[in-house]
Amino acid sequence: MNKSESPIISVKGVTKRFGSFTALQDISLDIRPGEIFALLGPSGCGKSTLLRIIAGLETATEGTVAIDGQDMTGIPANKRPVNMVFQSYAVFPHMSVADNVAYGLKLERRPAAEIREKVAEALAQVHLSDFAHRKPDQLSGGQRQRVALARALVKRPKVLLLDEPLSALDAKLRDAMRLELVKLQESVGVSFVIVTHDQSEALAMADRIAVLKDGVLRQLDSPAALYKRPVDRFVADFIGSINMFAVTGRRAEGGDAARLETAELGAIAVPAAHLPAAGKGALTLAVRPERVKVGAKAQKEAQGEGGLVSVAGRLGDVAFQGNSSIVEVLLEGGGSLSALVSEAEADHLMQAESGSPITAWWALDDMLILPENATAA
Amino acid sequence: MESYRRNFRAFLAFFTPSFAWLGLFFFVPLGIIWLYSFGETEGLTKIRLTWTLENYKRLLEPEIISLFWRSVWLSVISTAICIVISYPIAMVIATAKAKWKPWLLLVIILPFWTNLLIRTYALLNILGTRGRLNDLLHWLWSAGDRALSMIGLGDYHLLGERFVPVKFLGEPAGVMIGLVYVYLPFAVLPIYASLERLDRSYLEASLDLGASQWRTFRQILLPLSSGGINTAMVITFIPMLGSFLIPDLLGRGQVDMIANVIERQFKSGNDWPFGSALSLFLLYITFILLALQSFHAMRQRKREEARG
Ligand SMILES: Nc1ncnc2c1ncn2[C@@H]1O[C@H](COP(=O)(O)OP(=O)(O)O)[C@@H](O)[C@H]1O
Ligand SMILES: [Mg+2]
Repeated sequence: MNKSESPIISVKGVTKRFGSFTALQDISLDIRPGEIFALLGPSGCGKSTLLRIIAGLETATEGTVAIDGQDMTGIPANKRPVNMVFQSYAVFPHMSVADNVAYGLKLERRPAAEIREKVAEALAQVHLSDFAHRKPDQLSGGQRQRVALARALVKRPKVLLLDEPLSALDAKLRDAMRLELVKLQESVGVSFVIVTHDQSEALAMADRIAVLKDGVLRQLDSPAALYKRPVDRFVADFIGSINMFAVTGRRAEGGDAARLETAELGAIAVPAAHLPAAGKGALTLAVRPERVKVGAKAQKEAQGEGGLVSVAGRLGDVAFQGNSSIVEVLLEGGGSLSALVSEAEADHLMQAESGSPITAWWALDDMLILPENATAA
Repeated sequence: MESYRRNFRAFLAFFTPSFAWLGLFFFVPLGIIWLYSFGETEGLTKIRLTWTLENYKRLLEPEIISLFWRSVWLSVISTAICIVISYPIAMVIATAKAKWKPWLLLVIILPFWTNLLIRTYALLNILGTRGRLNDLLHWLWSAGDRALSMIGLGDYHLLGERFVPVKFLGEPAGVMIGLVYVYLPFAVLPIYASLERLDRSYLEASLDLGASQWRTFRQILLPLSSGGINTAMVITFIPMLGSFLIPDLLGRGQVDMIANVIERQFKSGNDWPFGSALSLFLLYITFILLALQSFHAMRQRKREEARG
């Protein structure tokens, strides 16, 4: 996609206060044409509020939203070129499926034949053609969601807003629907903004993800960048699983190095270049389980010292996960860490007794040094 | 619910008092009234059961038909006014902040704590030709008249030479004001309940799809709260139709409703059999309406099954 293309939605300095409570704090972000954009964060962080501000169902206390270059300040929801799929779907219970989908078109005073045609087309798109005359209470949750999708898409919005679209579905349907939503987006071509609290959902579907916490935008990046280069402890912890060790002391060392003290790993010398440039609060060392190697001390020594961090511990539980396993290492300095190992390695480790001495190590370059909150001044 | 058959004695012990109460004070009197309606008065105090249909035939007299008709239209209009007034009130309460709701509901329910008789007497004071409502109208008239004088139209007396009090008592308008006033809370509560239950995202979805506020109100809010409206209509219309005190006091004998005529048969008219027939007539109508409604509901269900 062309990066210089102008954004389809531009959120600038949006703050939202409910009384004295600040739900959103100075949010700025751009949504590009044709992308799937995820608003990700724990429950109550303000995702829905931001989506509703874009839709015009809520007014920002400060800041502006522009859609396709047009400032939306003062423009009510019914005049904005975006449509929403509500978390509860909000399919009108007193109208048939077809009438639900036609509702928005009838308001545009289109000829009846054209409306019929568009409704049929939209229903076909979400595989509901046979259900046109059903009432919503005769549909399953997944089918109701499709009605909500068709009803919004038939309006040809510039952006489709979806609030937790998968949270009300059962687990199996959820996985199928992830794929289907991505396909649907590809076929209609408009941007989707998806609100979710499920990081795996965001990683699987989105082109870019905005991570929110307590109304503050912590990081906006592609899924891979969020995973590989989280800017702070919260993002690292929220996206995927990660081993973390609090830094208790920090001391500049000669040259370009710093010594970081942790209870679990002892003191570790790191290049000053690895230290975070921005942010506030205590530092945390973090390493993804798949970057951690485990084995006998000798195995580690065979690899030499250069640029490695190693820690001694005892073998804990091994959790089988199919083609890989999660190995728990109980550290001598207290606490534990987990490592993702291959099937063969797991078989090998299982021969050792639980509690037997073991070493865990990883490359210094694979270890993240994270501030508590990169956005805090 | 099967267990009551097994524990028949416990069931009996538990429910006998209520059945006895119902039987003794409801079904037995109703049966007596039903028998009276086929009877004839004999002398001053006796009623002989002759299975005559004369009392029912008298229901078709023009006087009685117009009485029924008046009761029905007074109740229909009052019910409609009640619904129209109570819908916005219910909306205000349903959308108020959570901490205000109990207080607003209390204000609605407060009149129940005062006896109906006292409230109706209070209305007499308000609706009289020298009552508070006419004071207000007089004040408005004066203000309007002064305003007209100020713009130089004073000499034409567009609002009349002097204020003529509006007569409410003894007029249908007064009775309707009374009916609306007394039964308004009964209409507000069910409508409020249905609005309170309503998921707000239906309204937001309608706006989001491009509908105006008015269209959202008509096509989404009204249909989705129709259950509350129907309940409100039924529970205000039925007691209105049978109301006695309000037309008695505010109607001044000029705006009789069914209950007033029934009372007269049992008291001054001393015609218990005809009073009984009048009383039961409403009951028969109610039964017929209920039967029609359930018949209609059944047909609708069948049609939906056939289609679905
Ligand atoms: N209308 C409102 N009045 C007061 N507080 C609200 C309102 N809407 C949302 N909030 C608060 O704002 C915060 C963010 O809400 P929301 O955007 O719904 O979070 P989520 O990220 O779970 O979607 C929550 O703490 C919520 O309680
Ligand atoms: Mg939400």
